[in-house]
Amino acid sequence: MGHDIFEVSINAIKLIVVFLIIVQAVPFLVWLERRGSAFIQNRLGPNRIGPLGLMQLAADAVKFFFKEEFVPASAVKLLYYAAPVVALIPATLAFAAIPLGQPVQWNEYTFRLQGYEINVGIVFVLAVSSLAPYAILLAGWGSGNKYALMGALRASAQVISYELALGLSIVGMIMLYGTFNLSEMVLAQQAPLSYSFLGANWTAPSWLPAWGIFYQPLGAIVFFAASFAESNRLPFDLAEGEAELVAGFHVEYGGFKMLLFFIGEYGHMIVASALMVLFYFGGYTIPGISMADLNQWAAEHAPGANAASLTVGLLTLLCFFVKLALFIWLFIQVRWTLPRFRYDQLMDLGWKTMLPWALFNTILTAALVYVAHL
Amino acid sequence: MSADVFLFWFLAILTLAGGLTTVLVTNPIYSALALAFAMIGVSALFVTLNAYFLAGVQLIVYAGAVTVLFVMVLMMFDLKHEITAFTRGKFTGLVKSGTVALLAGILVGAIAMTSDLFLKISGTPEVALGGGDGTKELGKILFSKYIFGFEALGILLLIVAIGAVALARSKGGTHAKQ
Amino acid sequence: MPSSDFLQQVGLPHYLILSAILFVAGMAGVLLRRNAMVILMSVELMLNAVNLSFVAFSHYLGQMDGQVMVFFVMTIAAAEVSVGLAILVSIFKRFKEINIRFFEHLKG
Repeated sequence: MGHDIFEVSINAIKLIVVFLIIVQAVPFLVWLERRGSAFIQNRLGPNRIGPLGLMQLAADAVKFFFKEEFVPASAVKLLYYAAPVVALIPATLAFAAIPLGQPVQWNEYTFRLQGYEINVGIVFVLAVSSLAPYAILLAGWGSGNKYALMGALRASAQVISYELALGLSIVGMIMLYGTFNLSEMVLAQQAPLSYSFLGANWTAPSWLPAWGIFYQPLGAIVFFAASFAESNRLPFDLAEGEAELVAGFHVEYGGFKMLLFFIGEYGHMIVASALMVLFYFGGYTIPGISMADLNQWAAEHAPGANAASLTVGLLTLLCFFVKLALFIWLFIQVRWTLPRFRYDQLMDLGWKTMLPWALFNTILTAALVYVAHL
Repeated sequence: MSADVFLFWFLAILTLAGGLTTVLVTNPIYSALALAFAMIGVSALFVTLNAYFLAGVQLIVYAGAVTVLFVMVLMMFDLKHEITAFTRGKFTGLVKSGTVALLAGILVGAIAMTSDLFLKISGTPEVALGGGDGTKELGKILFSKYIFGFEALGILLLIVAIGAVALARSKGGTHAKQ
Repeated sequence: MPSSDFLQQVGLPHYLILSAILFVAGMAGVLLRRNAMVILMSVELMLNAVNLSFVAFSHYLGQMDGQVMVFFVMTIAAAEVSVGLAILVSIFKRFKEINIRFFEHLKG
């Protein structure tokens, strides 16, 4: 964790902050969702409590605290109480592995703006997201309710089916950049865009960065669609639809436990957006300015090397959050634009469409990389 | 006691608890959840052994797919009662437990008695593993020395996928009611 | 040999003993339990114990062959579980029971 007490304490605080980012981002996201969906549906949304309705979630949280705490009679108590807690774990662990900004150099310490630096970052993120079905299954079985069980089985089957397409669509990126490390992948996307094939080079104008989406458009589309299914968002949320299954696996949860489930779902949404930004849209690098230029600008205008590094770190952090907000807005837009898929259509789409396209993308990328470097 | 040693003992006790719970608890769903816990423990032990890629793959394949399948199938079965969880006859049960205990004793004793031999082999693991990033070495060796096994695994997985679908189909499968 | 040295330093014997105890626990599960699903789960536990010993040897001998073996074992175990579960689902659909004491006689 560090060499001396200063570094260890800063790292410990960083871990707590990373966890709190997810938990504290959720009220903001719920507000965004309610106002955003109202905007799309040509109505107003909550706008009475606080300026622009921002205190609505605080009021809702207070309401949740005072709700009655009940356990259904035929529930399995241990699993019923454990499920909302387990729902939080995959999203927060995955978010902790994502680099949020450039590492800050303070005297002789290097603080990474990341929960922990892992050399096999992508494998870790995929591994932790694959633990998501457990919360759903525990909730479904622990509720002792047939609707909840059916919803839970369907939702977890959906999640493990789309994990395949998710993982395969990233393999193309891994082949191109040759590393599992997330920070290295971000740094490799800052050069100006250039294609080179069998000796013929073409470099785009210098303000266009070498983002992943220009190299892997098919992979990006498959990844984006699969991440909708992973976080159980519309158009893939049949398992928690109200008209079909009476809210699915969280039908027997009320009050604060339900809030924990929603933190988990929005957490998955944040992680999916963050991964999309990281792999295909350059991560924390600002488009058009390479990191070396940015560092030089900061070194000239800031007092001392520490402040310069801190400025660059904060600027990249801001850039990352702006990109993240754009993608979360896209998630919310898609939710209210597309109708819901039926369950068999959903499974067909996952196995018969997305998996073959992801495989095709992998084979095509492998062939192009091999031929181009012959 | 340094951090590594404490980590090993902590993970070892957790994994062992998970493994023993799997075997000893009567409710099969608790068994499956304890198995998932044991697999996460084994994955963490892989991390202490510097096999990071394998730890991730263990989580994805075992804890994230195999055990989820177990739990899903158990929830679909919805077994009403557990008739006899453990083996029925007293004498055969004793013979089986005795065999297991004997094997345990032989294994642990053999390891303990030759432990100084093992301590001599501990060569220089870091150097040979390519300095921490074992994934590249793993890839190279998988595609050069073990390429036949790799391709055979691919064919095996294809056969298994077709076979599992054929077995469990309700209409037209190998075990469908005609 | 329980000395304080055994508790203070972690080496290859520690991992091997852990792997042996997990393997034996899995074997006890296969022999003593009567629920077919729990038998399958105990087999998985045995395979995991073997994986652990492979990786421990690979680490302490400095070769990657152990990790390749783990790759193979993991894949084969996943394949075996899927076929085993498909068979169990068929059996359950036919007999409505997966307790092995109903299947002790080879005919019928």
